[in-house]
Amino acid sequence: MNIPVLEIENLKTCFDTRDGMVTAVDGVSLKVNKGECLGIVGESGSGKSVTFGSVMGLVKKPGFIAEGSIRFNGRELVGLNGKEYRRLRGKEIAMTMQDALTALNPAYTVSNQIIEVLLAHDDALTGSRRSKKKQARGKAIEMMQLVGIPAAESRLDDYPHQFSGGMRQRIMIAIALSCKPTLLIADEPTTALDVTIQAQVLELIADIQDKLVMSVVLITHDLGVVAEYCDRVMVMYAGQIVESGPTRDVIDNPQHPYTQGLLNSIPRLSDLDRKITPIEGSVPELIGLAEECRFMGRCLKATDACKTLIEMRDNGVDHQVRCINAGMVL
Amino acid sequence: MTDMLKVRGLVKHYDTRRGIWGKLTGNQGALVQAVSGVDITIQQGKTLGLIGESGCGKSTLGRAILRLHEPTSGTIEFDGVDIINLDAEAMKAMRQKMQIIFQDPYASLNPRKTVRQIIGQPLKIHGKVSDAEVDGRVQEMMERVGLKVGQMNRYPHQFSGGQRQRIGIARALILNPKFVVCDEPVSALDVSIQAQIIELLAELKRDLGLTYLFISHDISVIGYVSERIAVMYLGKIVEEGDTHTILNSPMHPYTQALLSSVPQVDRTGVTKDRIRLTGDLPSPVDPPRGCRFHTRCQYASEICKTDEPLYQTVSGTHSVACHLVGNSG
Repeated sequence: MNIPVLEIENLKTCFDTRDGMVTAVDGVSLKVNKGECLGIVGESGSGKSVTFGSVMGLVKKPGFIAEGSIRFNGRELVGLNGKEYRRLRGKEIAMTMQDALTALNPAYTVSNQIIEVLLAHDDALTGSRRSKKKQARGKAIEMMQLVGIPAAESRLDDYPHQFSGGMRQRIMIAIALSCKPTLLIADEPTTALDVTIQAQVLELIADIQDKLVMSVVLITHDLGVVAEYCDRVMVMYAGQIVESGPTRDVIDNPQHPYTQGLLNSIPRLSDLDRKITPIEGSVPELIGLAEECRFMGRCLKATDACKTLIEMRDNGVDHQVRCINAGMVL
Repeated sequence: MTDMLKVRGLVKHYDTRRGIWGKLTGNQGALVQAVSGVDITIQQGKTLGLIGESGCGKSTLGRAILRLHEPTSGTIEFDGVDIINLDAEAMKAMRQKMQIIFQDPYASLNPRKTVRQIIGQPLKIHGKVSDAEVDGRVQEMMERVGLKVGQMNRYPHQFSGGQRQRIGIARALILNPKFVVCDEPVSALDVSIQAQIIELLAELKRDLGLTYLFISHDISVIGYVSERIAVMYLGKIVEEGDTHTILNSPMHPYTQALLSSVPQVDRTGVTKDRIRLTGDLPSPVDPPRGCRFHTRCQYASEICKTDEPLYQTVSGTHSVACHLVGNSG
């Protein structure tokens, strides 16, 4: 049963810069269902963080949402004012940032930062402000235990710099999960971490996702992470989704030349003799793009037919691709 | 096959203990034991992959080998010469043969210099050639690494990450070195660009007969580029062997855990048999007694807490430092 929690339709987010209008997200449509984990893959500048920054209402001047709709549990988010957004953020939708050290406030203890969220959003807290604070502190300890921080009670009043990178990431997850959100957006949660710690953090998220029947959006550039943890995956390139589908389907049977190129450019431990093939060239500038395939300049299969507006098209069950050559044997 | 590099018992400590100031402020500092007795050998024309988590001392090791950071003790034999006792002038001459490529292509290039100046500087420092010759060599090198010669008067910020890394590579190779330390050369790059740089480094190695020490935390990359792999944990090498042996039959529990933690595209769902390491890397200021890995090792027994395991050869060229492996196990 697929109940959509988040529905984005034709989202277009632009930044008005000195050099011209940058369309960082250009016509993104997607759905996140209840309890599922959606992976968003793309290189830097592909628009993956801006897409979900738009969902969180975090796009600030010179950026703005030019078009499109973002619905969360049926409610339109585009155009909400600051107050309405604050009620939602942290409570129903939570986001963890890539770099835990810059996302946490260095001047406040960890307990301060977890309790702040609870006091703002948790309706289960009752009584005077003092008693609420006390209950929140208890919950903060629970959260820290949940994310696997040893000696949680004694470490609660430490500052972020006193924790290691993996522990900081856990603290950010603890803050994000403290109000049991319906949707967690995890932006590169493990990029800054070592592999053994990465495994711990990802398994923690998967575990909590199961327990709370939470939906998760996992933004990453690591296809291995997607393969192991995500139900569905979307590949972004230059502000657009170029391929989307069930993870296994997309990875085993990629249709877009960019997805194929990505998969061919990573060495695989299981087959080190397999030669890697880089994608030549680099990502186009996002200013003044013509209505044509954006990958054309780097694509080996490009023809004149690619110089038109290209829409997503169906390619099998729940598998879509933005390429006119998809499905054809070349 | 001759040995290009032979390192024995290399130790690098950073002493941040302070004198009177430390006493007054209460900030005593500490003795950071970044590298604690490392033996490695790299044969000419081969790549040794050095893998380990952040803070294990792998970058320090790379720099200590070039004497960019003066080693605390140990010996380094490079191309048949003991370089540890060379004076500054002799060492400078030796550095023409040993170069380094840095991780961050943003921080390792001087933003105020043009690409021509950056790539040509090593030639000028070593005072070998006239300005015209420098330009000629710079152009040759730029073409070699896939940069457009027409861009030689541009500044680093006008290039993308991948192109900057090419500039760093050109700078390292312009003196025709024999040995290059590649310190996480692709970690800061996007996946598709990573592959371009890996292929470029492989091609240069083939064509110029280079020897690499390739430092990375990415096991897939290390596995792809190296003939041999050394695994480092908290300042020590815990296992070393042929790439095939290390990846297919690792013996040290740390290597096993590291390998099983790597997410792979051809696996679905969280693997049930994944070895889960708990906790974080202990501090190199106060490394655990005995085996340094015992605090996170699922097989640790009493002896691991007290005695340091010997680094012993298990078969052929495969060496492991673990009580569970070899005679006792």
